[in-house]
This record gives sequence, structure tokens and C-alpha cells, in this order.
Amino acid sequence: MDLEANRSLIAAALTRIAAGDRAALQTVYRLTSAKLFGVALRILGERGEAEDALQEVYVTVWRKAADFDAGRASPMTWLIAIARNKAIDRLRASRRSRRAEPIEAASDLSDDAPGAESALASTQDHTRLHGCLRELAAREQAALRGAFFDGNTYEELAERMKVPLGTMKSWIRRAMIKLKACLER
Amino acid sequence: MSDATDHNGLPRENLLEDELLAAEYALGVLAGAERDAAERRVARDGAFARMVEAWDERLAPWAADIEEMPAPPQVWGAIVEALPLAPQRASLWENLALWRSLAVAAGALAACCIGVIVYLAVQPPGAPLMASIDGGGRHHFVATIDPRRATVAVAPANYSADPARVPELWLIPADGKPHALGLLRADQSVTITIPAALLPHLNHAATLAVSLEPPGGSPTGAPTGPVIGAGKLTNL
Repeated sequence: MDLEANRSLIAAALTRIAAGDRAALQTVYRLTSAKLFGVALRILGERGEAEDALQEVYVTVWRKAADFDAGRASPMTWLIAIARNKAIDRLRASRRSRRAEPIEAASDLSDDAPGAESALASTQDHTRLHGCLRELAAREQAALRGAFFDGNTYEELAERMKVPLGTMKSWIRRAMIKLKACLER
Repeated sequence: MSDATDHNGLPRENLLEDELLAAEYALGVLAGAERDAAERRVARDGAFARMVEAWDERLAPWAADIEEMPAPPQVWGAIVEALPLAPQRASLWENLALWRSLAVAAGALAACCIGVIVYLAVQPPGAPLMASIDGGGRHHFVATIDPRRATVAVAPANYSADPARVPELWLIPADGKPHALGLLRADQSVTITIPAALLPHLNHAATLAVSLEPPGGSPTGAPTGPVIGAGKLTNL
């Protein structure tokens, strides 16, 4: 599904949700739920949990649609942030982490390549982000991936990569500063 | 060099700390009390919330690497069952300004009630429509449409003027594509002529919405600023 092409359609539907239009919520659901379910499932690792998270996501969209500002954020960014936060909240509440196996910093990062099946993958922002991620040290990339895709905390990442907590914090913080500088170049 | 940087061009320390906290929250590495505290700060500190949004924007393209997965059909049913009656219902209950405007509206409604009953029974085609363009009580415009004259009159029932931006009116037909109608005023009612091409869309499937735009209106022909209110067209 070409989500970027649907950007204005999603933004307009969010406007109508703010007016209490349930059909508009269904439009947003139809256009975005497969992506957001994928995001929740990736973080939670279990279908039942991901389904519950997805339900919370769209109830939140219904309640907060008026907060969406088309001038500041793209609708997909806004929706993905809600989905990640709901999934992470559920993960934290369950006091467990699905992905706990050790991460080898020097491991093959070739699976980092854009997925050809995703329409979003062809966007300029996606290409630029990957370009900047490639400028980071392998261990920094690995830590950011564990956080973004597996929903790991600092503690979990430190454990998975077998480094002290303080070291993990400075890796991530330094990586985020470098990432921001690169994206703003 | 801006105020936010020191003589080396590096961010000042507290700003850097905020920026890093925003990055950590958006990335999702915080847990427990730290995550809760960051979440509360997003809700009450606009500048911090903007930093988090900027990080969301930077990181979101990464989600393209996650494969789409059709959600099972029962999820939509569960969502519909869990929906509150209307968005932002909680804030409506707390909003004094809305209650005041409701009290005024109720008085006006009582006065014209009998007239409406008679009117509905004999409603001709091209009958007037109205929309209560409500942004959860904080902003509220009332629009009345006269399809035969192709005009919409919009009165600000409750609107706190934005110093930098102007309210712009949009018609959103069933297809969801907004059409600019014109700029509104904070201090008085405005009557706008509706383009002939949009007249067929004046029905119950359409919504009127107001967004905040740069002076002169949206430069793109689509809403660029926040939507501060929306309401469906209904019979007057």
C-alpha cells in the first residue's frame, strides 16, 4: 500500500475524526492498520498482545485526533509514534522483554537494507536515515536497532551487548547526537 | 549562531539534556519512573513536546523496514466497542466556556423550537444547513449555509485569536479532500460565497473545518496548520 500517496487522505480523515466521524476513523484504520500492527507485533512479539495494543492505538487516535497538526507532523509519523509508545507501554507493563538474546555489535547488518516490499522504503527520508545510520559505529547501530525494533530499555541493551549501563547510555546518547547532526546536514 | 548555542556552537547544557531526554523518550529506551516523567513532560511542556515530535519525525522512516501485517478482523470490532461517544469528551465536561455557549445556545434553541418543527415538515430543496464547528469547547464557530444564494455565514461563538495565524474555513466533502472557502475573523461574522463547483457537496456527508494558517491563508491550497474545530453539516 502506498502510504505516502495516501498522506493527504489520512490527514483529512484525522480532521474529520476530530469532529466525531466514525467513518473517518475506519478510513484511517483501513489505510494504516497493517503497518501499525506490524510495528506493534515487532515490538511485542506476540499476536494477542499486538492486537490489544492496536486497539489502544486507534482509541487513542479517536481521542487525540484534534491534537494532530498537519503543519508540523506527517500523519504516518504521528500514527507510528502512537503505535510504538502503546506497544512499549504494554511491553514495560508485562515486565518482560521478548528480545533478550545477545547482540553482537559486529554482526552482519545487511538485513538493515530497505525492504523492497515496502512503499515507504523508497522515500527520500528513509534513504537519508539509512545513510546516516551507516555513518555510526556498528555497536551504536546495533544498540539503536535493539531500541527501535525490539523496544529494549537501556538496561536490556546493556545486558544484550554485555557492557555496563553507563557505557550503553553514552553510546546511545552519542549516536543520537551524531544522527541528528547528520540528518540536519 | 543562535542563543541556544555556546561560543563553540555546541548546544548549551540544559538544552542538550532536554534534547537527549527527548531522543531517549522517542527511541523508547527509558523505563519506569523516567519514562513516566518524560511522558508527563510531553503533556505540559510544549517546547519539549516539539523536540520529541522532531525525533519521531527523524526515526519514523525506519518503520518502513517493518513488514506490514494485516490485523485480524475482530480488532476493528473491539475498537468500535471501546470508543467513547465523541473525541475529547473529558475535556468538554471540564470546559467552562463551552458550558456558557451551550447555555446561550439552549436559550436560542428554545426560542426557535416551534418554528423548526413546522419548518422541518415542509422543508424545500436547497434548504439552509448549519454546522457547529467545535474544537472541544476552546474554539467554536457556528456556520449557516444558504445553498440557494451559495453563501456560508460564519460567526465566532468562542475563539481566542492567534497572534501569528488566521482562521481559514474548509469544506470537506465525503471524499475527504478539503476545499478552501475563505478566511474568518475573530471579532465578527463573515459571509463567504461558495464556489459553484462545490455546491453539489453541500449535504450531510460534508464537514466544515477551521484551521490556523499564515496571514493570507494556506499557501498550498490544503490545510497546513492545526485544525482547531470541525463539524458536520446538518439541517438548520
